[in-house]
Amino acid sequence: MKKFLFFSRLFIWFSLRDMRKHMGRAATVLFGIALGAAVFTSVRLSVNASLDSFTKSMDLIAGRADHVLTRPGGYVPEYLIARLLDHPMIRNASPVLTTYTRVSQDGSEPFLLIGFDPILDRPLRNWRINDKSGQSPVVWLDLLKEPFTLILGEPLARQLNRAPGDSLYLEHAHQKTRFKILGMLERSGLSLAEGGRIALTDIATFQEFTGLFGKVDRIDLQLKPLATARDRADIQRLLPESIQLNPPTAKRESGQMMIRAYQLNLSILSFASLFVGMFLVYSLVALNAASRRHELAILRATGASAYHVFFIFLAEGAFLGITGWLVAIPLGNFLIKYLLHGVSQTISTLFVRVQVDTLSLSVSEIAFGFAVTVGISILAAYQPAREAMQVAPKEALEISQLGMRPRKSPGQLAIWGLICILLVLPLSRLPAVLDMPLPGYLAILLLFVGFSLLAPWALQRISHSSSAVLLKRAGIPAYLASRYVRDSGTRTAVSVGALITAVALFTALVIMIYSFRQTVTYWTYETIKGDLFLTSKMGEINRFRYPIPQQVIDDLQDYRSEIDILPNRRFFLNYGKFPYEFELMDMQGFMQYASFFWLKGNPKAIRPMLKRGEGVIVSEVFSNRTGLTVGDVFKAQIEESYLELPIIGIVRDYRTQGGVVFYSMPHFNAQYHQTYWGGLRFFFKDRSQDLDLAVAKLRNDIIDRMGDKVDMYSGKGLRGAVLKIFDETFAVTTVLLLIALVIAALGIATTLTVLVLERSRQLNTLFAVGASFRQIRSMIFWEAGFMVVIGELAGVVCGFVLSCLLVFVINRQSFGWTFLYGVNWGALGASIPLIILTALAAALPAVKMVFRKPPATLLRER
Amino acid sequence: MKPESSRSVISAKGLTRVYKLGDSEVIGISQVDLEIAAGELVVLKGNSGSGKSTLLSLLAGLDRPTRGDLTVANHDLNDTSDADLTHFRRQVVGMIFQSFNLLPTLNVLENICLPALLAGKSVAESRPKAMALLEWLGLDARLNHLPAQLSGGEMQRTAIARALINDPAIILADEPTGNLDSRNGQIVIDLLAELNRKWDRTVFIATHSTLADDRASVKIGLKDGMLTSLP
Repeated sequence: MKKFLFFSRLFIWFSLRDMRKHMGRAATVLFGIALGAAVFTSVRLSVNASLDSFTKSMDLIAGRADHVLTRPGGYVPEYLIARLLDHPMIRNASPVLTTYTRVSQDGSEPFLLIGFDPILDRPLRNWRINDKSGQSPVVWLDLLKEPFTLILGEPLARQLNRAPGDSLYLEHAHQKTRFKILGMLERSGLSLAEGGRIALTDIATFQEFTGLFGKVDRIDLQLKPLATARDRADIQRLLPESIQLNPPTAKRESGQMMIRAYQLNLSILSFASLFVGMFLVYSLVALNAASRRHELAILRATGASAYHVFFIFLAEGAFLGITGWLVAIPLGNFLIKYLLHGVSQTISTLFVRVQVDTLSLSVSEIAFGFAVTVGISILAAYQPAREAMQVAPKEALEISQLGMRPRKSPGQLAIWGLICILLVLPLSRLPAVLDMPLPGYLAILLLFVGFSLLAPWALQRISHSSSAVLLKRAGIPAYLASRYVRDSGTRTAVSVGALITAVALFTALVIMIYSFRQTVTYWTYETIKGDLFLTSKMGEINRFRYPIPQQVIDDLQDYRSEIDILPNRRFFLNYGKFPYEFELMDMQGFMQYASFFWLKGNPKAIRPMLKRGEGVIVSEVFSNRTGLTVGDVFKAQIEESYLELPIIGIVRDYRTQGGVVFYSMPHFNAQYHQTYWGGLRFFFKDRSQDLDLAVAKLRNDIIDRMGDKVDMYSGKGLRGAVLKIFDETFAVTTVLLLIALVIAALGIATTLTVLVLERSRQLNTLFAVGASFRQIRSMIFWEAGFMVVIGELAGVVCGFVLSCLLVFVINRQSFGWTFLYGVNWGALGASIPLIILTALAAALPAVKMVFRKPPATLLRER
Repeated sequence: MKPESSRSVISAKGLTRVYKLGDSEVIGISQVDLEIAAGELVVLKGNSGSGKSTLLSLLAGLDRPTRGDLTVANHDLNDTSDADLTHFRRQVVGMIFQSFNLLPTLNVLENICLPALLAGKSVAESRPKAMALLEWLGLDARLNHLPAQLSGGEMQRTAIARALINDPAIILADEPTGNLDSRNGQIVIDLLAELNRKWDRTVFIATHSTLADDRASVKIGLKDGMLTSLP
């Protein structure tokens, strides 16, 4: 304790007072690290909030069930309930149906309607009637007695402005029906699912409303505690072959897997801001260690040990980390308001529907953010602290101060840098670990470290070879700048390293987003072809599980002379834990107007095979995630049929909810079982007409004839919506990237200021021996120019390598897809000079600092 | 800056320099009157804080007087533009410091050539003069060494060569022996005396050591920023 108090006092006297003296410098670094910490923590908290909301909803809906019966892609016959309840090892069984529905009014948001048997369900799920508003706690029994009645979650009732006793019209695939509200749920248990936007109804009402007579989505089971594997096998024997008995966690896990992949990528991107902030901490602590060398020697001479000095500087790093983290709290509070909405919206659009109602401030997550921020700050201070501890006490007696001598030659560092860069390729080829692209991320880290270590050597070589030319062509300021940069060693290289990191990230993300967008655009225009798309009402949110009404199909036959109608059906299945869609389509018709985005296999040979139903084609994502490729056999249970079909090709597909398997619909109907039409796409036969006008006319005509029984989207609108979602998805990425660039600019400004302050005596000597103000300013701009141009060039090269890693390794291992590599030369060409100008502008504060003190005073100062 | 027609190389009248430190004022020098003829070896003596460096930086054009008149080598330094002061520092005076103030990233030859290069000369133009100075100062074997590889005496000799590269009329030395042992200190004083005697330069040495006393043609004392008489 005594030692701690002594050290704290020493730290306050030696470090904190000095920081107070140079408040601006410390504040800039603190702001940089705080911004990084705020971004990192708020991104993680935002994604966690979505992940928690999703998991909570899944768990609350699953309740206490330990097993669940489902039929892949289809429904479970309701009659199985009676058979299951007779089994001695089954304690409880409850049938469940869910769908999204909405109040029949403009702009109403869909909510989850759960159909169940209230009596069978009570032991499995927690839900209670809110009796504070005077309702009977057993009002739920009326659900059984009175058809078309509902119990609403309290938040939903509040949003809809409805109370018990009121009525509302709900619309679904086939009808609009009036429901009466019986009561509201207490805010606990099941009513917390989906942020409280749920409604409960009796299963019979549900079936009548949706047309699913005799069918349920699943049956939740609770086995007796003593049930063994043999009992489970016995239960399975009671069921038809197509029914699967699984733990209830499968759906939750596949959703979590997708959110976690997104979380990891966003966390890594937000970590980039902290990583760049680390360079700032290094710069400041290294400056303190170098510029206070004489003071350190005096400290040593008066009795401080080398370890005292070491820990003082390490504590400086820790102090910056802790204070930065504290400043990050209000910053994060501000950021999270924007991120929470953006992130949950993106997750809902891309992966699984989430309703984020609260931000859970998990202690472990906050502790993690704190540990990462403080950890990297201490790590950044480590090397300067080691250098500081080697200052000899005898230096206190020396007057001449020639600065720190570089400890490692640039050549040695370059060799280490080269080794790091060479390791990138083998690391990037390693498979993902625990479904996470950890070797890929390690490769990225090594790439950054490698380029940063190469920076001193590159600076030395370039400035060495250019100094003679510069003296002749650009005069003495440029020459002196090149000489300084040549000999400045790791100090300059650190800020160049920060710039390399930020520019590389910028370049790589510009290339990745451009490649991704170009590929998705091509995919959209090739694969999502069609003049008009039609689904059942609320088809998309309910995953096309409800057939297009037969009357609609019959009425559409009148248009056959003008349009080709291509039906499809999509089944949402799982291959192990991996979710995918099995899509049946009219291959003959599809290939007449559109095409797939081929990746593997010979399209000329595959097309006729697909039309003949001789095999399936799978998406790249499906292939990468399952390991199945061309020549393998695709096996799946789909409703009551079991399929075994060869994989004859692999195509690119950018659906975000897993992979896709395509098969011919007519052949499925002929060889397996008849299936309904889940969606339609129309192509006008006359392609020469004004298609926009024709689509609008057809759409209006269908509405006039059939009312609003179906949802319709023009092909143009749908493709535009896909690209809009793409751009919105990358909005968060762009914000994070800009923050990393701001921190890098702060880094350049700090480093240049630091370099000027550190050399104020040299600069004033130059002044004394005849340099003009203009020459000295020009020299500093040349120095900045050297650092920025070299950082920019190396950053661009590093960025190109990084973009390959992102496109071909990280995306493949995180999401299963790759894209066609393309470089947005226009954006890069326009933005790179802009970055150079911004970084040069960062030299302005440094220039202002040059003659802050009278030259005469500085020349006399020790 | 207009050249003055006078036989004095340094002429000061009521020269005062006051520094502002927050709300308070610190007097560097006050009401200094000085007339130094060309070719003198002046020794300015005084304790620490007496104002020696302040006076020297005013004479070197590193600083501007608060009040009073100052003329150096026919250049009026009272009301001078930055550009003229830069030209003055390059061509008229050569400065030698206690802490040598060599640029650590430049070698000996480069450090010496630097003022010539700053004045717009090429390396080729300045190199013969630099080589001659190096030979005179006994540093010809050290021309490619960095300052960190030199002894204190060698560093100060390099600084002397740097001060001479542009042929200045006046050499100003601020405690030139302060960081040297007595042998090296004596060598430096001998060199400065030789400069004064053989090369006819006016040499102005601010010091509190006695090494230069017997070489001085003029001795001046400073105490609390004001001139005092010396024995």
